[in-house]
Amino acid sequence: MSDAATLAGFRRETHTIDGIETAVLTAGDGPPLVFFHGAGTFSGFDFALPWAERFKVYVPYHPGFGESGDDDRIDAMADYVLHYLDLFDRLGLDRFRLVGFSLGGWLAATFASMERQRVERLALVAPAGLRDPEHPAPDIFGIPPEELPSMLVHDMKVLARFGGAPTPEMMVRGYREQTATARVAWEHPTDRKLPRWLRRIDMPTLIVWGKEDRLLPAGQAAAWKRLIPQAEVKTFGPAGHLVLDEKPEAVAAITAFMSAGAL
Amino acid sequence: MPVERRNAGADREAADVNASPYSFYFMHFMPYTALPKEHEDPKKYPSTWVELPNRLYDPAAGKRLYKRYIGELVMADRLGYDGVVVNEHHSTAYSMMPAPNLIGSILAHETKQAQICVWGTPPGLTYPNRLAEEYGMIDVMSGGRLEIAFPLGTGMEYWVNSVNPTTARARYREAIRLIRRAWSEDGPFTHHGDFYTYHYMNVWPRPAQKMPPCYVVGSGSPETIDFAAELGLGYSVAFASHKAQIALNTTLREKAKAHGHTIRPNQLPIGVMAYVAETEEKAVEEYLPHIRWFFERALRTTGRYLVPPGYVSVAELAKRAAHGGTTHGGFDWDIFTRDFRIVAGTPDTVAEKIVKWMEDTASSQVTAQLHLGDMPHWKTVKNMTLFAEEVMPRVRKAAPKMDGLVAAPKRQPAMAEAK
Repeated sequence: MSDAATLAGFRRETHTIDGIETAVLTAGDGPPLVFFHGAGTFSGFDFALPWAERFKVYVPYHPGFGESGDDDRIDAMADYVLHYLDLFDRLGLDRFRLVGFSLGGWLAATFASMERQRVERLALVAPAGLRDPEHPAPDIFGIPPEELPSMLVHDMKVLARFGGAPTPEMMVRGYREQTATARVAWEHPTDRKLPRWLRRIDMPTLIVWGKEDRLLPAGQAAAWKRLIPQAEVKTFGPAGHLVLDEKPEAVAAITAFMSAGAL
Repeated sequence: MPVERRNAGADREAADVNASPYSFYFMHFMPYTALPKEHEDPKKYPSTWVELPNRLYDPAAGKRLYKRYIGELVMADRLGYDGVVVNEHHSTAYSMMPAPNLIGSILAHETKQAQICVWGTPPGLTYPNRLAEEYGMIDVMSGGRLEIAFPLGTGMEYWVNSVNPTTARARYREAIRLIRRAWSEDGPFTHHGDFYTYHYMNVWPRPAQKMPPCYVVGSGSPETIDFAAELGLGYSVAFASHKAQIALNTTLREKAKAHGHTIRPNQLPIGVMAYVAETEEKAVEEYLPHIRWFFERALRTTGRYLVPPGYVSVAELAKRAAHGGTTHGGFDWDIFTRDFRIVAGTPDTVAEKIVKWMEDTASSQVTAQLHLGDMPHWKTVKNMTLFAEEVMPRVRKAAPKMDGLVAAPKRQPAMAEAK
């Protein structure tokens, strides 16, 4: 499947990593900045284009998502980390800035705690993966499809950009990505080990959240901040889970944060 | 001193050479029917599965229903059915058997002749050793009358059990191979699989039969057909159109042959929903409200619950999304009696249909679903009695010859009584 409509402005390359056809979108030029997407890719990555004015932005599709191939042997976050170590070796990406959103935020945090020497600066946008009893998240697998749109955004008009009523193709795409998500998160939608290992994240870190996020409450930012003490927290409102699509200010805050230090 | 492993099934075949090669199993879903009237409204209760609040379950009504349903299963044995069938579902009013082996063990004690087919616990939803042990208990207690149909479990089961649906099929295959190994090899042995590790697999009690007859349960997906073909197992269809079943039986026979297995006609039971009465009109009139209840209320569920993530392949989902349509929650008598094996009528009508269906599918075994939905006891008894006394003999007389017919290894007195 090709996402030509939502992917204007990106170049596309593919790499075969351990048999998995891995699609990587790139845009711009400059120091590398990698973006790990969340559990649904239907809304594309338009929000990332402003970063391309200063950085070379890499948006790889995770195995099982979007334009990358499937691999049912990938069933843990650690598998994704190792897959990306292979990909980054292939791309010659030694050190880079890393942004992760939602499921991709969980992955970015895991990656940064395991491979901290590779990550120059880290931004976590509404990251999943942490169990916070004080700000419980709804069960993402339990959300009826008809309720999902209002869980994703604060302003429903934002979603209109990504197409109208769901088509059978969109349903199939969604099912495929839910399957890939379920492989890593069905039994454990959060990682009980994460609180222990987040302390290894020692690079400058920014945590970004939409104040009206109904999928992962913004209140969870405090728990992340507790575990990554040097992190700075910025919340934006009114905005839901897709804060990068809803709030250009959130995107600009990440640009500013990533631009700090030597370019 | 090791005890020689005998195959009770083979003994029975030898003893019953004159028995009919056509067999009839009475299947019960044991639904919880004491639902409030407001349950009729699908807007209020979009699913009878997964999310139906359990405050709607009244244990007193449940106790009455258990007593009644178990009585009906025991009656099937007395009426001469070759087998009784129970099955497993969770968190639903569709079935009160989340643990069918509990009912199976009662039947082992209360029935004398019928095969006891536990149309099974999804083996991936429990521990394989424990399942092998429970089946061993039922087989020993019943004197070797156990048959097992192994289901993957509906999509709904995976929402309410702590097992990842993306692993369902792989677990299923590993668990079945392991259970069958535990029955065919002397224990203890070790097993190091993808999902199960056993330092000592040593099933006590082992079954009375060397290997209880095993079926795969499915709806005809290529994966389950291939699996059954590879192991030479029977195939019990959960629910499929008659046309789909004909295709499935043909495919399975061909594929099994390629693996060196011959699938016998009694390994491919066909499900039949039937109601028998004095006249055609009376049969339809007495039957209709209950089959409607079954399809519209018991089977009512949502697309999401039917296919949790990873439960089917993306290709399979794409096929379903393109075709649309489901038999869950809708009912049309004309379409259903045309496409599925559903019949209501006089003994002649019902027998004639069944003979035709057996002929089409080259199957010698019928899984008769004679209680359905909220059918009251008197109709159930009437139906199962007329079916046993008027339909079964007619079918046995008129049923077609087919390759591989064997006198069904059924109706053997329990071992203790035989001695």
